[in-house]
Amino acid sequence: MFPEALKNKVVLLDGAMGTVLQKKGLKPGGGPELLNLTDRETILAVHREYIRAGARIIYANTFGANALKLRPTGHSAAEVITAGVSVAREAAAGTGVMVALDIGPLGELLEPMGTMRFETAYEYFKEMAVAGAQAGADLCVIETMTDLYETKAALLAVKENSSLPVFVTMSFEQSGRTFTGCGVQAMARTLEGLGADAIGVNCSLGPELMAPILSELCRATRLPVIAKPNAGLPDPATGEYDMGPEAFAAALAPCLEAGVSLFGGCCGTSPAYIRALAAALKDKNPAPRTFDAVSFVCSPVTACRIDGVRVIGERINPTGKKRFQQALLENDLDYILDVAVQQEDAGADILDVNVGFPGVDEVAMLPRVVKKLQSAVSLPLQLDSSDPDALEAGLRVYNGKPSVNSVNGDPEAMERILPIVKKYGAAVVGLCLDKNGIPRSAEARFTIAERILSAALALGIPREDLWIDCLTLTVSAQQEQAGETLRAVDRVRGELGLPVVLGVSNISFGLPERSLINQNFLIQAMNRGLTLPILNPNLREMMDAVAAFKVLSGEDAGSRAYIERFAHGPDRAAASGLPAAAGPATLEAAIRQGLKADAQRLAREALAAESEMELVEGQLIPALDRVGADYEAGRAFLPQLLSAAQAAQAVFEVIKASIAEKGGTPVRKGRFVIATVKGDIHDIGKNIVKTVLENYGYEAIDLGRDVPAESVRDTVEAEDIRLVCLSALMTTTLPAMEETIRLLRTLDRPPVILVGGAVVTPEYARKMGADYYAKDARESVEIVRKVLGS
Amino acid sequence: MELNLTEALRFLGVRGEPDPALVGEMAAMKERLIGSVSPRYTFRVFPVSRAGGAIELSGAGLVLPGTMAGKMLADCSRAALLLCTLGAGFDAMLRAEQARSMARAVMLDALGSAWVEASCDAAEAELSRRFPEMYLTDRFSPGYGDLPLALQQDLCRVLEAEKRLGVTVNDSFLLNPAKTVSAVIGLGSAPQPARIRGCGYCPMRDNCSYREGGRTCVS
Repeated sequence: MFPEALKNKVVLLDGAMGTVLQKKGLKPGGGPELLNLTDRETILAVHREYIRAGARIIYANTFGANALKLRPTGHSAAEVITAGVSVAREAAAGTGVMVALDIGPLGELLEPMGTMRFETAYEYFKEMAVAGAQAGADLCVIETMTDLYETKAALLAVKENSSLPVFVTMSFEQSGRTFTGCGVQAMARTLEGLGADAIGVNCSLGPELMAPILSELCRATRLPVIAKPNAGLPDPATGEYDMGPEAFAAALAPCLEAGVSLFGGCCGTSPAYIRALAAALKDKNPAPRTFDAVSFVCSPVTACRIDGVRVIGERINPTGKKRFQQALLENDLDYILDVAVQQEDAGADILDVNVGFPGVDEVAMLPRVVKKLQSAVSLPLQLDSSDPDALEAGLRVYNGKPSVNSVNGDPEAMERILPIVKKYGAAVVGLCLDKNGIPRSAEARFTIAERILSAALALGIPREDLWIDCLTLTVSAQQEQAGETLRAVDRVRGELGLPVVLGVSNISFGLPERSLINQNFLIQAMNRGLTLPILNPNLREMMDAVAAFKVLSGEDAGSRAYIERFAHGPDRAAASGLPAAAGPATLEAAIRQGLKADAQRLAREALAAESEMELVEGQLIPALDRVGADYEAGRAFLPQLLSAAQAAQAVFEVIKASIAEKGGTPVRKGRFVIATVKGDIHDIGKNIVKTVLENYGYEAIDLGRDVPAESVRDTVEAEDIRLVCLSALMTTTLPAMEETIRLLRTLDRPPVILVGGAVVTPEYARKMGADYYAKDARESVEIVRKVLGS
Repeated sequence: MELNLTEALRFLGVRGEPDPALVGEMAAMKERLIGSVSPRYTFRVFPVSRAGGAIELSGAGLVLPGTMAGKMLADCSRAALLLCTLGAGFDAMLRAEQARSMARAVMLDALGSAWVEASCDAAEAELSRRFPEMYLTDRFSPGYGDLPLALQQDLCRVLEAEKRLGVTVNDSFLLNPAKTVSAVIGLGSAPQPARIRGCGYCPMRDNCSYREGGRTCVS
């Protein structure tokens, strides 16, 4: 039956369980899953009514039967699922109807929106999948999902722990995005890549508003498409949905023309709706579909279609960058995020991520960096490593459809890398080289590209997911190779039709005015068909060349992006949001005004005459103190305090780079642990304190939010920390703060404890056993000075 | 629906005459916020019944304990449960801003607070339109007075918060996404007195920086 057969004929699914049970007396929002144990006959009757109405696949009553939601009930997921699947099986016995294990969202948000780890979510779903398969489900449906990340965890869990076919449906708003911002194409490409058997849309909307989303989905996937809309919209006063069975069926039937083949109902529907659908769809077939096979990568919110030149930012890479190497060795993920953010703001479309460096455990580091970056950067990532284990670890936790850099034409390399690429549905860069090195001729490179393509296709990797890197060699060493590279680009584009990648700046090593050579090579290569230049997007001349190319190629319709780019004149320094005025004369003035670039320039000049430490003590700290005094006096407000702090942070970057260049020891004024306590998920206050303290030169070990007391204690013990800063925002989390303090006091060398946050008062701080209370970030500086020294 | 910039500046802790540069930057950021984040809300209206002194919302399976709810809903035959959120999109925007500039992030945070308040006002206006013959009480929320914060869980369950708005509650009764407001609003057949707005009812009145300066947060 799967999956081709599902595409060409109509298959009816069932309708709502929850709202049907509410009609029978269940309270709104009450979990119906326990009825599998307590009122089996009612559930059996609902399933049978759906089968009589025409459903060929019924969903077992297991939507919310995960261990997290069931925790207060004392029942296990396995118990409720076994009962749920068994009652559905009983209803289906002898009818040929298939029974689906139904998996809904866990009910708690995953990182970075919430605090549940991806790996934890996977374990909850795994428990459900194993129980459902053992209980005899024929397939699994994952539905009503709004977070692509949670969906991925569920899909991986089902595929890795059962052999059940998997359907996945997500809930979209009228805008074409889910609550968490996931778009239709991003959903389609990501889930198809991960091996879903059919995908679709359920809940949230009625059939009319769902139709455009379904049409878009039908073009974005090769898989069978499912529609399970609500019976219109609910009335706020009564909770009743506003669409009757006939109107529902009449509104949904036209989706056949888009190619939808699986139909059912969600909230507000009942067996009458399925009967009406059966009548409306009788003897009809879904229209044939056309798949939009453009190359594609994405994050949940950003779809990157490779139908023109797309820039891959190259800066997240330690090669030749001392400051980046230091950040990797010190686990300074904030620095790496900053490098990513700069490239996103400079206009990159995809970010290459390479964290391979001696002394760095890439298998642990790559997924950590991926998680950090996707918490604040919306661009798709390209995972760059030669270690298949690191790649797999990174691909596993990536939210969306990434690319992999790279595989080459050596059969052993292809055997190692391509199966991972296939499993996680990534795109992959194929390098035109093999065991014998880089071929000198364009023809030999083309042959390797063909070899990689046939290996990829043989593994079931779709053609559009292979990109070819024709390899840039250094023109100062092998001058004739520039031409060979360009000829290879020509052939790969012309004959194979695949996107082409080139690391552009390799071309100019050893020559003066490298940017001129780079820009010229980039333009020539784009003209021959280069689609994915890997370059430094912070270099204006490179991005200008891309912008100009898009005008000449016609991609930038009406030259709109180009005109926008130069709307503020050729000098875009002024486009950073700051008025162009005469620069500040002193470092203090630059910091007070929050002018990062000026502060950095003045700091570099100052370092010619004085040491890093003298600069910090003599200029930086006094400037921050004066802003702090203004803040206390009500002459400056939080944004000014923070922008001064950030200008100071920029100066610290200059200082760190200067020290790293000399190979000296970094400025270290003392370390502290900072955390928002268990149960508390809001962390902007903590981040404000961290920003301000870091800019006085103190080093933060930021444990994040919702941090268990044990984690704080263990870190303090392992790192021998002398100061801990804790934040709590709700009266309900004060006990967690108290517990954290109590645990810290059990250490042989207890640290000094500073507390703050919306609900903490000086009296309560004393009562809990904290050493200090700070009412704001500014006050915390004075306390930290006292404790750690200035 | 209008985001009140003055209110956002107040959330930011700005007192007195604010720096025009700050106001300009806040105004620009306000445009970006309202262009990219649409608040969502849902409400349901239930009949109020009184059993043994406690307020019960029939049909919701929900009891509102404490004197606060009793006082607020004293003359009400119905009550609405309301949930407003800026959604995960705002939180993502705030994370992205924090990675760029904490200074701008705190401004965005303050604007977000004002924006979700505006959304609550819009929900109230819709409620008034749907029940033109009824008068609304001030809105009040779990955690206010003696209305327990633990009510967040039941309130979210009744409103199907996860399915309808993408809102979840954790074990400490915190709502996620961050800019989410839950509230109860009474509906009565006579005009309702102000019972919450004003310093007399404010839990912050003893350590309010406005009152220290002889002002109030609305002046």
